[in-house]
Amino acid sequence: MTVFHFLNCAFLTFGPHVVYYSATPLSEYDTIGTSVKAAAVYLGTALVKLVCLATLLKVPENDSFDPYQELMKVFIGFIDVAGLYFALTQLTHRNISQNHKFQAVGLGWAFADSVLHRLAPLWIGARGLEFTWEYIFQGLEANANLVMTLSLAALGSLMWLRKNKPRTLIPIIYACALLLATMPSITSYLRRSLEWQTPKVVGFELFSSLVMAFISWQLFSACQRPM
Amino acid sequence: MSPSGELLASISSALAVAFVLLACVELGDAAAAVGVYRLIQYDLAGAPLGSRAAVINHHAAALPLPAGADLSRSALVAPLLDLPLSFLREYLVEKKHLGGLLILLPTNRGGDKDSADDKGKVKGVLTELEKLLVHEQVPYPVYFALHDDSFDNLLADIHKIASSGQPASATTGGYKLVVSSAEPRKVSSPTISNIQGWLPGLKGEGDSEQLPTIAIVANYDTFGAAPALSVGSDSNGSGVVALLEIARLFSRLYSNPKTRGKYNILFGLTSGGPYNYNGTSKWLRSFDQRVRESIDYAICLNSVGSWSSDLWMHVSKPPENPYIKQIFEEFSDVSKEMGVSVGIKHKKINVSNPRVAWEHEQFSRFRVTALTLSEMSTPPEFLESTGGLHDTRESTDVESVTRTVRLVSESLARHIYGLKGRNIDVFAENSSLAINPHYIRSWLDLLSRTPRVAPFLQKNDPFISALKKELSEHTTDVHIQSDALDGMFTFYDATKATLNVYQVASVTFDLLFLLVLGSYLIVLFCFLVITTRGVDDLINIFRRPPSRKLKGA
Repeated sequence: MTVFHFLNCAFLTFGPHVVYYSATPLSEYDTIGTSVKAAAVYLGTALVKLVCLATLLKVPENDSFDPYQELMKVFIGFIDVAGLYFALTQLTHRNISQNHKFQAVGLGWAFADSVLHRLAPLWIGARGLEFTWEYIFQGLEANANLVMTLSLAALGSLMWLRKNKPRTLIPIIYACALLLATMPSITSYLRRSLEWQTPKVVGFELFSSLVMAFISWQLFSACQRPM
Repeated sequence: MSPSGELLASISSALAVAFVLLACVELGDAAAAVGVYRLIQYDLAGAPLGSRAAVINHHAAALPLPAGADLSRSALVAPLLDLPLSFLREYLVEKKHLGGLLILLPTNRGGDKDSADDKGKVKGVLTELEKLLVHEQVPYPVYFALHDDSFDNLLADIHKIASSGQPASATTGGYKLVVSSAEPRKVSSPTISNIQGWLPGLKGEGDSEQLPTIAIVANYDTFGAAPALSVGSDSNGSGVVALLEIARLFSRLYSNPKTRGKYNILFGLTSGGPYNYNGTSKWLRSFDQRVRESIDYAICLNSVGSWSSDLWMHVSKPPENPYIKQIFEEFSDVSKEMGVSVGIKHKKINVSNPRVAWEHEQFSRFRVTALTLSEMSTPPEFLESTGGLHDTRESTDVESVTRTVRLVSESLARHIYGLKGRNIDVFAENSSLAINPHYIRSWLDLLSRTPRVAPFLQKNDPFISALKKELSEHTTDVHIQSDALDGMFTFYDATKATLNVYQVASVTFDLLFLLVLGSYLIVLFCFLVITTRGVDDLINIFRRPPSRKLKGA
């Protein structure tokens, strides 16, 4: 029964990535190589982030919200953006359309994130007898994270790969990308400073990810249109 | 094999090792882990008695039970006072199976709020319960736990689930109680350790004969339904404390040659008391015949911690016997001065009967004059009044022990120094020989924290060492005599365990979750296909593969 629960939570956490890959044209164009490369870049980025966090941040004595520390965290969080930039622009891919490239990169990125952050706790925790909602919420968070990473990758590809985009949209694109990059800090703020409960935080994440995805989609399709 | 193949193989084996390691990670994430104490498990002359199992892995159930409930696969959690003994008796008689039983012992959380009335009730119920469980074979695990707030919450939750009529299919599939204890093993060759110490008397110039000896004896071990909770403050912690204090008082007298009496005093802390004073018998047998014969009389102290005005002197020789008469008169004299009364009870010993109700009867069997001082007026039954669950520090008071010490030591001093008929308080208060209530209190506290069931006390147990050390502070020639407990008994270990309480989800919940999850993923799939490729593609996915195969063929 507990293995059952573990499998359920694993499906919830990693299923959407697989579904996304197989349902979208990504599978038809065999972009798995790109996703794997993106995942590798994610690993490198995570390492750099860890080193930065370890050197620049103090270990918090309590669970309070320290603005300075949080600001540092936001800046360190931008290393993610740098990593994405590297993955989108520097990696040499096979002839793959921009459209598919950002999806493949985003997917690999989100999947690596899920594996790195959620697989071990899931394995340790969800097999236990004790029932908690924690791992279900964690799975939902993974879903939200996938959507957000895809949106960020989409905006990134707009920023760095697309040369001729409508001038009026550029500030909006940058603002949205900034918002997405700071999203982890925002949720951390909600959780710690406003002391939101996990269901509320996860609900917020899901909602905001959907909103951001919609906006990114609109922006992306607006840029697609011939000028 | 190509190099890359070898590399792959080594990577995969490394991965396999990593997975095996991960699978071994111990899961210790219970909602609550509580220390629980198992009902004693023992064989008496081959007959299996007590709780015969130790492992619980069942859903929790609470009283009142719904009609016709089958408890064979659930663990019943019941506060002591809510548990009807008739229910237990019925289960035992009809040999109905229970998944497990967890009895919550009341703790005096409310401080003085508990009325004496309530305490009496608890004591009565506990005595009945112990009598029932100790002498029966219980085929399921029975545990005791101290009733604290976490159990209140647990019980409330179980009631809530039960009363809402939801079966275990709700999201809260109830609670699972898990005690993953190892299979109880036999305690190999249980030993009993008797501790003795001497206060040698002063021989006169011309005395070539051996000095007479007075023995003061108390058994220190206990027996109760839960060995790990069997602290026996009254039976016989109080006797042990009184003995230690008497030893301390007389060691002060005997340290000065002027006040050293013409009697040797022998102090004996015996083990095996609940088992017909097996240890006392072994201890007496270990003595030289001449030493045994030199014992003038022996005073056994048993349960002297909760009496108010009446103390009983149990003897196996008729009260008309001059020795007994003399000793009784000495006690009476002192007791009158103290304003208490000492009664005499005569019970003949029956050598053919294996039951030995009082410690002095073992002395009598060796033809040594002996008596037992006790607050109990009647001899206890086998394995009763030996430090059961109710016998805790609360049921014992320092005042009673102090009174006993005064009575015994004063009369003893009058006997030794020949002060009969003279009103001299040897151990008067505020003198240097005053009885020290703090000493009594601290030892009583220590004994009330130490479970002392003999088979679970090793020869080198810290508690036995502590007793030995304390006795050697006051007396000389202290040594421990160890012997095997006579063969009728076999004990099993696993007296303590940890109970893990898990809040679990039911299988139905997991199935439902899988269903929701599956539909979510399917909907997601369809949505993605439709938005990125169009509806036709979605339909084609389900059509195409066979045609593709045909093409390939």
